Amino acid sequence: MPDAHFYSYDDFDRRLVAERVEQFRDQVRRRLAGELTEDQFKPLRLTNGLYLQLHAYMLRIAIPYGTLSSRQLRKLAEISRKYDRGYGHFTTRQNLQLHWIKLEQAPDAIAALAEVDMHSIQTSGNCVRNTTADHFAGAAADEIEDPRVWCEIVRQWSTLHPEFSFLPRKFKIAITGSPNDRAAVRVHDIGLRLWRNDRGEVGFEVIVGGGLGRTPMIGKTLREFLPKDEMLAYLEAALRVYNRYGRRDNLFKARIKILVHEIGVEKMREEVEAEYESMKDSALKLSPDTIEAIAQHFAPPPLRPKRTLVPEVEALKLEDRNFALWLKSNVAPHRVAGHAIVTASLKPAGAPPGDASAAQMEGVADIADAYSYSEIRVSHEQNLVLPHVAVEDLPAVYRALDKLGFAEANIGKITDIIACPGLDYCALANARSIPVAQRISNHFAALARQHDIGDLKIKISGCINACGHHHVGHIGILGVDKNGVELYQISLGGDVDFGHTALGTILGPAVPAEKVVEAVDALVTTYLEARAEGERFVDTYRRIGAQPFKDRVYATV
Amino acid sequence: MAKNLSGDLQVASANRLADGMVVFLDAAGQWTERLDRADIARNKQVADILLERARAESFTVVDPFLVAVIEDEEGRIEPLSLREKIRASGLTFAAIAAEAVRYA
Repeated sequence: MPDAHFYSYDDFDRRLVAERVEQFRDQVRRRLAGELTEDQFKPLRLTNGLYLQLHAYMLRIAIPYGTLSSRQLRKLAEISRKYDRGYGHFTTRQNLQLHWIKLEQAPDAIAALAEVDMHSIQTSGNCVRNTTADHFAGAAADEIEDPRVWCEIVRQWSTLHPEFSFLPRKFKIAITGSPNDRAAVRVHDIGLRLWRNDRGEVGFEVIVGGGLGRTPMIGKTLREFLPKDEMLAYLEAALRVYNRYGRRDNLFKARIKILVHEIGVEKMREEVEAEYESMKDSALKLSPDTIEAIAQHFAPPPLRPKRTLVPEVEALKLEDRNFALWLKSNVAPHRVAGHAIVTASLKPAGAPPGDASAAQMEGVADIADAYSYSEIRVSHEQNLVLPHVAVEDLPAVYRALDKLGFAEANIGKITDIIACPGLDYCALANARSIPVAQRISNHFAALARQHDIGDLKIKISGCINACGHHHVGHIGILGVDKNGVELYQISLGGDVDFGHTALGTILGPAVPAEKVVEAVDALVTTYLEARAEGERFVDTYRRIGAQPFKDRVYATV
Repeated sequence: MAKNLSGDLQVASANRLADGMVVFLDAAGQWTERLDRADIARNKQVADILLERARAESFTVVDPFLVAVIEDEEGRIEPLSLREKIRASGLTFAAIAAEAVRYA
């Protein structure tokens, strides 16, 4: 049965994935039989998203542009229960990681994914990774166009693209269709932002060379306005330039951001435009029929405008303070009157950010079936989204999410923390992330206080690779290892909001693990004392600078 | 206070090929999940030999390597680095169970 309202595999997709499953099954058999060495096998398993981490194999499953059907989410729950330890970790790239996969069962897990049109191809390696999107796509009140149509076109183009399977380094693309950037497009290798020009035409701003990691950079505008039908040819031109000139001699200087930094965006533009000139009228130019054929898959569900003021909702607001707070923080405006977008918080107090048990995944799938046209989205902030909920159903959705532990009214608040898996799982990490997030979460658990503090994004990474996006946290926390001791470097002022995208500035010397909560508390206290009317934490920081925060933190810790 | 991670005592560790679990080489040349059964090399020369033995027994494991450990007065050993402590002991927080709907 096809999944409604977004792309379903055709025969070509199914055959491709089925063939890959059988190839991988044979590769695993040969490895277990000793016919392949680890050196021979490693690139093959990584091509299928299977990493070997500290304790076990980890399978990274692609969730294209963060969109899932209830059927797919149930299957992910089933796979996690059958082949893993019954839970999964939703990541900052809108994917799902299962951290306890057995190699001998990995082909069966991947075959189970294929049953619901999913795979783990290109979730590792120096190729184009899963294209991410605004998690409110297709539903947001502020949206110009659904970016997932373009994500799907990129997915089809980039899957096993022979020319771009061995790029200098991995390549991440994000697309947003709204002026309020919820996809962090300025910190991706290429970010595409749909906007409408003075003539009323919708096209892309093409942003290149953003990224986090050890050398964080904010992307630069490569093309101010690109007609939509030219997107694929232009991407091909940009990737071709990167493939040709990107550095292969130094792993740490291989990302496109370094190329753009070294040659300058003007030279990069010149090269891309020259390359583009030779292919702009090629088969990569998207015909209206092609675009329409993909767009049809993303036809919105048949929502009819409904009443926006619902007495039951208003009554419950007065009766249940947590519900009232939840409406404020976890419910966003929908494009259709009488509907709303609900974010299920995967950050209940003290929980590992982004983790969900199999039972919770099934519970969210049930809620999506009952109230959100069977659709779920994964946000890069590690939450799940129900994109199409009628306002009149909000009390029922709130109660159902509360039963799952996912109704914490904390979206955008201090406990809605992004955290990478850190040293508890990851072979690259230097320090733990999750236990730090848990301690902060427990310390600030009181919802009234969180709402008083207001919007404040804490982002934690366990190493310089920055999977926890610490560079763009209002408060960024980076774990470092100093002679075997975990220390945490704090930065302030990072932001991914459009027009305000900024990298955080390091506050001062790193603090010991046991002092991180006190340091964050000191930052919050400084803000609360200094804030002007209506200022968020990051606004106050921009106005008063780092010094008052620094003074308080280092007097405290 | 920072610890000396150079450690004179070492054990050989790896991840088991079939399931990725952390294993240690015992004195009989078998891979075990129990750190307390690991064969301990007490000087560099023996450590080099231990690593060679581990590599020779690596058909069922991935990429053996040496782990610096310390030993207390009762003979209990523990890795020196936090990373290896976590490898040997598991997660430092309680993961949510498959059927749990609330994080405890």
